[in-house]
Amino acid sequence: MNEYRWDDLSVGLSHGFNAVVTDEMMGGFLAQTGDVNPLHVDRDYARSRGFEDRVVYGLLTSAFYSTLVGVYLPGRNALLQGLTITYNKPAYVGRRLQVWGEIKFMTEAYRRLEISARISAGDEQLSKAKILVGLL
Amino acid sequence: MDEILARLQPIFRDVLDDPSLVVTAESSARTIEQWDSLAHISIVSAIEQEFKVRFALGELETLNNVGEMIGLMEKKLRG
Repeated sequence: MNEYRWDDLSVGLSHGFNAVVTDEMMGGFLAQTGDVNPLHVDRDYARSRGFEDRVVYGLLTSAFYSTLVGVYLPGRNALLQGLTITYNKPAYVGRRLQVWGEIKFMTEAYRRLEISARISAGDEQLSKAKILVGLL
Repeated sequence: MDEILARLQPIFRDVLDDPSLVVTAESSARTIEQWDSLAHISIVSAIEQEFKVRFALGELETLNNVGEMIGLMEKKLRG
């Protein structure tokens, strides 16, 4: 886990990591949230609606934005203050995802970072996010 | 002051998520319900990015309303 402090950070600093959503993670999300929408739990239904397979919950992939700030950028001293997500393409179970973020602005007075982030699978961008992070 | 205030209107409307909000020199966190502490940070950050100015915490802590913020901004933009 990274432990950046304010003075270590600068605009342009970036971090990324790889992740995979598994069947177990989908089951865990279902159990935790009760989101039984068939797009996420019924492969045949998802395919009948034009998707390759059942679609990973958007907020499950977006949980990796939490990992991005809480573990990598800035890591231990992060306090998530805001997250604006736009979804571009569906994510599927078992596919390798690349999670990446870069500091775009730093508000010195309140020690807050604005991070531009994205989640991709190969050449496809699945979502992008603007993340606001305070530093403890 | 009027020119800066006009440029601040869309910032406040966007951050406070109120398209009909009208900010005046007398507006403050006491007069606008949605202006909480996290919104305040977002307002300051948005102003810094829009006007290419920087604020120190000590400067911000002395401000009582939008008019005083504009006064501080005018000093920085002149300097």
